[in-house]
Amino acid sequence: MKRSRKDTLVKTIVAWTIALVWILPLMGVVMTAIRPFSEVINGWWKLEPFNATLSNFSGALNHQTAPLYKGMINSLIIAIPATIAPLLLATLAGYGVSRYGFPLRKTFILTVVLTLALPQQMIAIPIFRIMSGLGLVDTYFGLILVHTAWGVPWITFFMRNYFKTLPADMEEAARIDGAGDFGIFFRVVLPNAFPAIASASALQLTWVWSDFFLALILLYSPGKLLATQRIPLMRGVYHVDWGLLSAASLMVMIVPILIYILLQRYYVKGMVGWTIK
Amino acid sequence: MALRKAKLKHFGYFILPALFLLVVFVLYPTINTIFLSFVDEEGSLSLSNYKEVFSSRDILDTRGLDRGFPFGSLIHNIMWIAIHLPLTTIVGLSLAVLLRGVRGGGIVKSIIFLGMVMPMIVGGIMIRFMFEESVGVVNLVLQTFGLEAKTWTAYPETALFSLIFGSVWLWTGFSMILYSAGLETIPNTYYEAAQIDGASKAKMLFKITIPLLKPITVVVLTMTLLWELKVFDIVYIATMGGPGGSSNVLALQMYLYGFREWDFGKSAVVAVLITASTLLAAIPMMKSAGDEAE
Amino acid sequence: MKKLLVAVLILISAVLFAGTVSVIGPWSGGEMDAFIPVLEAFKAETGIDYTYQTYRAEDLANVLPAQFSAKKSPADVIFMWSSFITSNTKNILELTDVIDTDAYIPGALDNVTAADGAVYGIAYTAKVKPGFWYRKSFFEANGLTAPETWDEFLTLLEKIRATQGVKNAIASGNGVGWPLSDVTEHFLIAFGGPELQKDLIEGNTSWNSYAVRNAIGKLVYLIEKGYFSEPTEWTTILEQWWNGDYGLYFMGQWITGMVDDPDDLAVFSLPGNRGMVFSIDYAFIPEFAANKTEALELVKFLSGEKGQSIQVSQGGHIATVEVDMSNYPTVDKEIAKLTEGVETLNDLDDSIGGLWQTAFWDQLKLLWVRPERLDDVLMDLEQKMPE
Repeated sequence: MKRSRKDTLVKTIVAWTIALVWILPLMGVVMTAIRPFSEVINGWWKLEPFNATLSNFSGALNHQTAPLYKGMINSLIIAIPATIAPLLLATLAGYGVSRYGFPLRKTFILTVVLTLALPQQMIAIPIFRIMSGLGLVDTYFGLILVHTAWGVPWITFFMRNYFKTLPADMEEAARIDGAGDFGIFFRVVLPNAFPAIASASALQLTWVWSDFFLALILLYSPGKLLATQRIPLMRGVYHVDWGLLSAASLMVMIVPILIYILLQRYYVKGMVGWTIK
Repeated sequence: MALRKAKLKHFGYFILPALFLLVVFVLYPTINTIFLSFVDEEGSLSLSNYKEVFSSRDILDTRGLDRGFPFGSLIHNIMWIAIHLPLTTIVGLSLAVLLRGVRGGGIVKSIIFLGMVMPMIVGGIMIRFMFEESVGVVNLVLQTFGLEAKTWTAYPETALFSLIFGSVWLWTGFSMILYSAGLETIPNTYYEAAQIDGASKAKMLFKITIPLLKPITVVVLTMTLLWELKVFDIVYIATMGGPGGSSNVLALQMYLYGFREWDFGKSAVVAVLITASTLLAAIPMMKSAGDEAE
Repeated sequence: MKKLLVAVLILISAVLFAGTVSVIGPWSGGEMDAFIPVLEAFKAETGIDYTYQTYRAEDLANVLPAQFSAKKSPADVIFMWSSFITSNTKNILELTDVIDTDAYIPGALDNVTAADGAVYGIAYTAKVKPGFWYRKSFFEANGLTAPETWDEFLTLLEKIRATQGVKNAIASGNGVGWPLSDVTEHFLIAFGGPELQKDLIEGNTSWNSYAVRNAIGKLVYLIEKGYFSEPTEWTTILEQWWNGDYGLYFMGQWITGMVDDPDDLAVFSLPGNRGMVFSIDYAFIPEFAANKTEALELVKFLSGEKGQSIQVSQGGHIATVEVDMSNYPTVDKEIAKLTEGVETLNDLDDSIGGLWQTAFWDQLKLLWVRPERLDDVLMDLEQKMPE
């Protein structure tokens, strides 16, 4: 018993050492963000002089040519609808597929899984042309549409897997009581699907917020650029130093990290759940 | 029988919106891209795009054998896989095993997982930052060991490796989290029984843990492989494929052909190439998903 | 009586509704603050009111074609790339007889002149890339002087590098890639002449030609001798150069707005240089402008000595017509002096654009750390030139 306690102690020390080393790069970014750039120019680990300041954050938020606050608002304008819409449509579809047998069901599922492996590059050019044709290039709606379509396959598969684990008793009971399909869905099924919906929402919101490639192709106007697009603009094109860039990076990271902290359980379950089932 | 028909009537409404989006914005573009790859400059069907792309130095640069980097984006992706895949899988598993039952292990895991949570464009900034000569943490470590500091992403020999190792730091959290969850599902009784039989820690790891984690390993390997084939954001912002194409990757080359050179044919070829690889990689996962479709 | 009444009414309405002109420009923040005084002076002189909107050129390039095809225009006077102006002449007013084309520096209007000699835009003020910047205090402290010959330049570099506390002679900026391409172009122009720059842009000269190899060879010689630093983020190395880690930094004139003490700045071009990259702001009047008369007035003002004098006195701009030197702030005067007798040239990679520009930046980053790969670099650049 003594040996295992020593083992645990050793393990704990090793674990925390790893954690400290692991977080060094992030600590570097934080240090560079909260200090004026002239202090860290020869290494952020040099601790004197140390003047904590928020000027990098305000500088990045209100930057003349690529203000980050506008970028973050734009990212939210895209991310929230692009989470709600696919979640709604894909939950409907996932439920439908899980409950009703239909011809080609297996094909449908395989197609959905196939799309999980598709890289965004595969749809990029045609999407660009379709959106040009529809006049939706450089519009929020166009980008939201593409994100919704892109999210539907995996969320459908995810929700279907979840619904398969839900026994259909309550639904049957409600049907016997005379409720229609949609009634059952909204009043019986959805409330029970909360964990899965939370997981899927956490993941989808994070992925849309973090997207860069689709925004790069579909959004141009400076006022509309998303937070992720403003970061490359800040690097090397305009007069932005590592201080501002670090502050900007931290702020863009905040939303996914917040989601992770608040919804950690669901987030992890989501990543684990739909892969392992 | 009548009840069954009633079910089917509404079934369409459930599935139609999703199906519509899927067909219009995912399936049709996919087929269209494949089609585009076979259309040459005059608009007729031919293999000229394929010939041009596969003989291009952007994809495969044999001069690299003489003088070093670049080797072409295809080789770069393969190198990325060769280094990144085993490292993140093994390190992730080791971390998951190590952190089991450790005080505050949850916090340590969260710290390691942060790399996965941040947008990859920010991840690229972090990689650029950590390898920079005067402010990079990697150089801090090297200098304490008396080695020379330099901006590793600026040199052709080290640019790609900087990105790869940086991405290991970002991505290891994924396999660690998945393995952690998987470890929870292995009943303690197995280990206890093995201990009674006198098995060593290593034996338990290799005979019990790893075999039982096989389904997770399949997922980790597949998802990581897919990610390595598709990597774009990191390279775009950290090196833009340079210097001199030394850190170019397929996804970036696809973007450059399509949206800088506006040659949709060549861009489509690279897209098809990436997709073919990802589909190949995803076969094991698709098989198991297909089995579940029963 | 009635006629007089009508005439008075017309006069009053002409004054009251003296018209307004809408302007679109790329400037925001501090740069916009520097442009507004010019518009104010215009209003004071002509009574015409103005509105100003900020719009980046890249975004106008996406927005204007659609507007033009709908026979609309977002403003009366629009600042835009010259390449856009020359490829949209159908939708743009010809200005050949409106402005004084002879008052311009040689070459200033080339970019907005069509093949038949018709001028479709005006050249406003410009930002230039004059040469290597240094701190006067640094030179004084170390007994250094600006070189007048190539050999003096080499001696200078050696002296700077040998100075205590200095990491290297010339700071190399990194980022997207333009800092390296700017200094490379300077060498091409200095040793190949303005003609070389123009030929390369047109695609009339190969990157493997003697002229190019000679010019870049000089650059490579310096890199191989180790006088250039490793490419570092251009804003980081700016700080370091200002702190004395480096002696020289090749940069465009916007550097004057980025340092604490612009009066300590001085600049020299490579000895023998006869051309300079001017980043000229061009403007045009669309066919569909709502207030054409007012727009023509503004365009005359902006292309004239008065308008440009006011702009350059704000600092950070160089006039493309002749203005009195006294209008320039101190450090800009130095730059203006360097522009005497040179030909205005276009930025090489901006003019060729597209994939070649990305490749140019990328290859230069390679050349800077592996100068022995010059042959591969030139071959790659030649191959990627658009047909």
